[in-house]
Amino acid sequence: MMIPKRMGASAMTRSMPMSVLSLLFLFLIPGFALAAGPIDGVVQRQPLNPTAIGMFLVFVIITLGISYWASRRTNSSKDFYTAGGGISGLQNGTAIAGDFMSAASFLGITGLIFLGGFDGLVLALGAFSAWPLMLFLLAKRVRNLGSFTFVDVVSQRLDKTPIRIVTVTGTIVVVILYLIAQMVGAGKLIELLFGLPYQAAVILVTCLVLVYVTFGGMLATTWVQIVKAILLIFGATVAAFLVMKESGFSLNVLFEGAVLNHPQGEAILGSGLLFDDPVQIATIMVSMVFGTLGLPHILMRLFTVPNMREARKSVFYASLFMGYFYLMIIILGFGTIYLLYGQPEYFGTDGKLIGGNNMAAIHLASAVGGDLLTGFMSAVSFATILAVVAGLTVSGAAAISHDIYAEVICKGNPNARTEWALTRITTVAIGVIAVILGIMFENENVAFIATMPMVVAASVNFPILFLSLFWPGLTTRGAITGGVVGLVSSVLLIVVGPQVWVSVLGYEQALFPYDYPALFTLPLALGVSWLVSASDRSARGAIDRRNYHDLLLRSEYGSRKNPLEVRL
Amino acid sequence: MEDNEILRVVRRKTRLRLTYALITLAFYFAYLFNYLPSGNFLKERLGSSWISGSLAMFAGLIVFFVFLEMLFLFVDSDDDPEADGR
Repeated sequence: MMIPKRMGASAMTRSMPMSVLSLLFLFLIPGFALAAGPIDGVVQRQPLNPTAIGMFLVFVIITLGISYWASRRTNSSKDFYTAGGGISGLQNGTAIAGDFMSAASFLGITGLIFLGGFDGLVLALGAFSAWPLMLFLLAKRVRNLGSFTFVDVVSQRLDKTPIRIVTVTGTIVVVILYLIAQMVGAGKLIELLFGLPYQAAVILVTCLVLVYVTFGGMLATTWVQIVKAILLIFGATVAAFLVMKESGFSLNVLFEGAVLNHPQGEAILGSGLLFDDPVQIATIMVSMVFGTLGLPHILMRLFTVPNMREARKSVFYASLFMGYFYLMIIILGFGTIYLLYGQPEYFGTDGKLIGGNNMAAIHLASAVGGDLLTGFMSAVSFATILAVVAGLTVSGAAAISHDIYAEVICKGNPNARTEWALTRITTVAIGVIAVILGIMFENENVAFIATMPMVVAASVNFPILFLSLFWPGLTTRGAITGGVVGLVSSVLLIVVGPQVWVSVLGYEQALFPYDYPALFTLPLALGVSWLVSASDRSARGAIDRRNYHDLLLRSEYGSRKNPLEVRL
Repeated sequence: MEDNEILRVVRRKTRLRLTYALITLAFYFAYLFNYLPSGNFLKERLGSSWISGSLAMFAGLIVFFVFLEMLFLFVDSDDDPEADGR
């Protein structure tokens, strides 16, 4: 299937398989790896890699030890959801980076740069740029207002029950879709890297995550993410160092070599080889940046630190690590072009890279670091999936047991033992669902499933969260209507867009031309929220507006009685 | 009067947040120039080097955003260290 005409007219763009474009978000979503190649079809299973498996087993043993340690410190729902709020800013920042940076970033973006040079970097910028906004707009206020989830924040000034139901729906949709994408990606990635069968990989990932989360909760999840982040940054640094060594530690030599080796020559230094439609790029950028700001499992990490100061620090550290990582990606991406093109041992008889373009980074590791680095990076890629799925599982469990059971059903006064039991039962249930869905979707085109979480988060969670924090006029009626419109419109436009309408349903032409509709659905959700709130003359609406004053003070000063005593 | 003073401070902080956010978004979406005819100059190499304007822009934006965050933390560092957020 070819790229639609709307994508532009360059020869390379026209000749690219649809999967390259439609799978953009597969590697934007943390942990999802197979970006620059097929995921909805059969992957080229690699021979069993004993070095990679050995290193992965070491990682598993260490993380199981962490889970055992964490299980002795996880005795309540608060411990489970937020690690008792005892994580430091630096630790939490590293864990956020571990949750958000992914094998996808390493394999997928590097693979896209290998394919088309500079164009692959738009995804890295989109993934990174949400973090400054998280610090400026959300970190402090969300931390000061919430307890366990971002749903706590939006229900502060609005009618608790209906707004919780809408935002929890958004959360569950995001978590489930995200999980499906992760599980299918995990199965394919592990099949690709380790030579393990798909079903075995899905079950293995789920079992490990269930052990981490059920016994160790957020504390174990945090430390798994920290270990993974350190390993990923270390591996990327070593690989980048070795690439620079090959080029005499000169960026000029690296880029010149890449230009000389790549079939498209100097064009790889600028835009236009993979994407040339500015509106399509804008849709990707909007979905990425605002989707990240609405991801429930990322926002939940803000509650694992003891105070808002540590929350702000953690976001800063997270962006520092991610910024460093994405700068390394430039070297790795162009390093693949410099060192792999023209080396026949990395290409099959069909002239394509062995294992597909997603394997470019792994081949690069092999070229500069031999079997040891290859095995290390493969093991880190697997570890990444575990870290992300663990975070999602905690978030999903909290949505059911805290947001629904404790706050909606029990009206904020749950039986602690029942809630604690429900939390663990929900965790196991999410694991079972993940295995079933992962196996069900093995041979399906999951590109649209990977797209939806970011678009839904950008069109439902972010508008409600942002308006509740920054607009006094928001009412419950406006927030609910805007959220529902955002949810329905984003799902609808994805269904009638190229990924479902053409790729899945087989129609010749999509009814809506863009894959990622957040550029349109986010303003729509904001506009509807504003319109309905502005015309809301109900008694509840008046209460919602009055509540803003108190919320504003608490969002800046927490529960302090008189902020002026310290501030002035 | 006291309440007004608190609100004045909070409004100032809110303006600060929104200003930094708008600066970030403006620079972020400036990346779209790479895909517009008016941004063709970004495809050129910088002087005699092999680094293009587009690549320099990518790296520059990441560094700039980190700098902006540091600046924000410095400017907005007058928070109560004892605030527990609850």
